[in-house]
Amino acid sequence: MSERDVVVVGGGLTKFAAERADASVRDLVVEAVMSAVEDAGVDLHNVEHGLTSYESDHFNRQMTLGAILHDHIGMVPKPNVRVEGGGATGALALRTAFAYIKSGLCDSIIVYGGETNGKSVTSATAQQFFALSSDADWEMMVGGTYTAYYAAMMRAHMSRYGTTERQFARVAVKNRRNAQYNAHAQKPMNLTVDEVLASPPVADPYKLLDCSLLSDGAAAMILATVEWAAAHSTRWGRQPNVYFTATGCGTDTMRLGDRPHPYPGLTHFRGKREAARQAYATANITDPLHQIDVAELYDSYSGVELQAYEDLGFCEYGHGGPAAESGVFDLGGELPVNTSGGLLGRGAPVGATGIAQAIEIMLQLRGAADPRRQVPNARRGLTDTHAGTGTHCVVNIFERRD
Amino acid sequence: MATITNKLIRLTAADPLGRQPDPWASFREIEIIELQWAQTYRHSLGKYSRFFVELENKRFLATRCPICSQVWAPPRPVCPDHLAITEWVELSGRGRVESFSILHHPSAMVPYIQPPYVLAYVRLEGADTLFAHLLRCSPAEVHIGLPVQVVYYEGPVAHPIHLMAFEPDNG
Ligand SMILES: [Zn+2]
Repeated sequence: MSERDVVVVGGGLTKFAAERADASVRDLVVEAVMSAVEDAGVDLHNVEHGLTSYESDHFNRQMTLGAILHDHIGMVPKPNVRVEGGGATGALALRTAFAYIKSGLCDSIIVYGGETNGKSVTSATAQQFFALSSDADWEMMVGGTYTAYYAAMMRAHMSRYGTTERQFARVAVKNRRNAQYNAHAQKPMNLTVDEVLASPPVADPYKLLDCSLLSDGAAAMILATVEWAAAHSTRWGRQPNVYFTATGCGTDTMRLGDRPHPYPGLTHFRGKREAARQAYATANITDPLHQIDVAELYDSYSGVELQAYEDLGFCEYGHGGPAAESGVFDLGGELPVNTSGGLLGRGAPVGATGIAQAIEIMLQLRGAADPRRQVPNARRGLTDTHAGTGTHCVVNIFERRD
Repeated sequence: MATITNKLIRLTAADPLGRQPDPWASFREIEIIELQWAQTYRHSLGKYSRFFVELENKRFLATRCPICSQVWAPPRPVCPDHLAITEWVELSGRGRVESFSILHHPSAMVPYIQPPYVLAYVRLEGADTLFAHLLRCSPAEVHIGLPVQVVYYEGPVAHPIHLMAFEPDNG
């Protein structure tokens, strides 16, 4: 890698909600961009490149949304590119921006995105839209939904390792508890494991409270070289500096059933392990549990977080359930996970999700998160974001450098 | 008075972050309308078509790679491990449940089946992959390892994948 270090100049996000009746998707992204610009202390006219992050044309009933967004934040006639990678869209957008800066194509870039997954269509239609992002002929047409695919993965994990419903319910409790300390979160809740277990079944073994949220919201982040930040940001150097130090990307087959056995089989995320391997090599991480201080994982379902602990090397294979119960990933534990509330508590407007994860890490590394969720002396943070059932996985790593 | 046929609601929104003063105070009158969008697709089943055609003959086909002999079910016209054109092979349609989920909400894709219904990942005899489909049985009956078999239907169906499903193999 070249010496062109990439830094996080600033970031901002909207309130995430089940319905932002007060705003269209373009309103939401404009709000997030204004917030990011204020946080970064920059004049947007000086930012050289735009990068649009959104997944679906269906929810917004608008194709080429990037053209509208870029226009509405005053970035024309500067260059713009749209990135899409399913659930991993936001993280893939940041990874792409990282490459644009590393390559010298630009010294500064604003990554912005959002989605109106909340109430723009009925939740049954939303399930169908998301099912279209599985194999439409071979998985969706037989009645498959994403909840069912993930449920079959978790059922296999339970069978293979003895993982229990109580263990993954605990993740739903933890992340919604953390959301109580985040003003932007959609679903802060003070729950018990028994309440999660008693919530209505959706796709066995997953219950309603094991499932992440359909959200309206947007997020934006400005990345640049150190030299650009020093020259153009009034806040650079006046608060802890956050660097975007490593990125990894892995993939897997579209259909779960096509994956080799025993690894990943139905139980694991091979793409996540590959993404982490690349990112850890760049960041010189050999013992992630102890060398990472805070992490935002892609908890699309509560059990997915347990599976991610394993493929990201936070614990041994099969130990995700007991690790969750040990409290090591709680606030105050060795490696707090989803301090923002995650997809389960903060929410998940798809194009914004990966950016919102990175903003949480930025706040944590600056020491600027709400004190009730701030991880003391956080120096290095990780985001894990994936599409499908792990078809496209991105791991990004951020570090504080004083 | 003007008439807007698809107007759902007009409301005064609050700032979701509760800021004082609200920076968007003069943009809080909100109107929401309803829009409809339906479409019909002409959808080729392409090189997978023979699989679907043979379901009408109550035969279950898969494809085998001439280089590595892996058997793909669902079929793939090309083995992705070798970029080699595959050949059709017939399977018995018997297998075992590798994993499953019980779905508790109706699906627009399988409107003829009432929830709760079972989506199963099945390891078919002679295949190297898992095949996902409906397992038509009582949810109480299903478990990992359950022997199942492909059953065939005459239709009418809206997609030929529904000419088959799995049932428990009692013979
Ligand atoms: Zn082959």
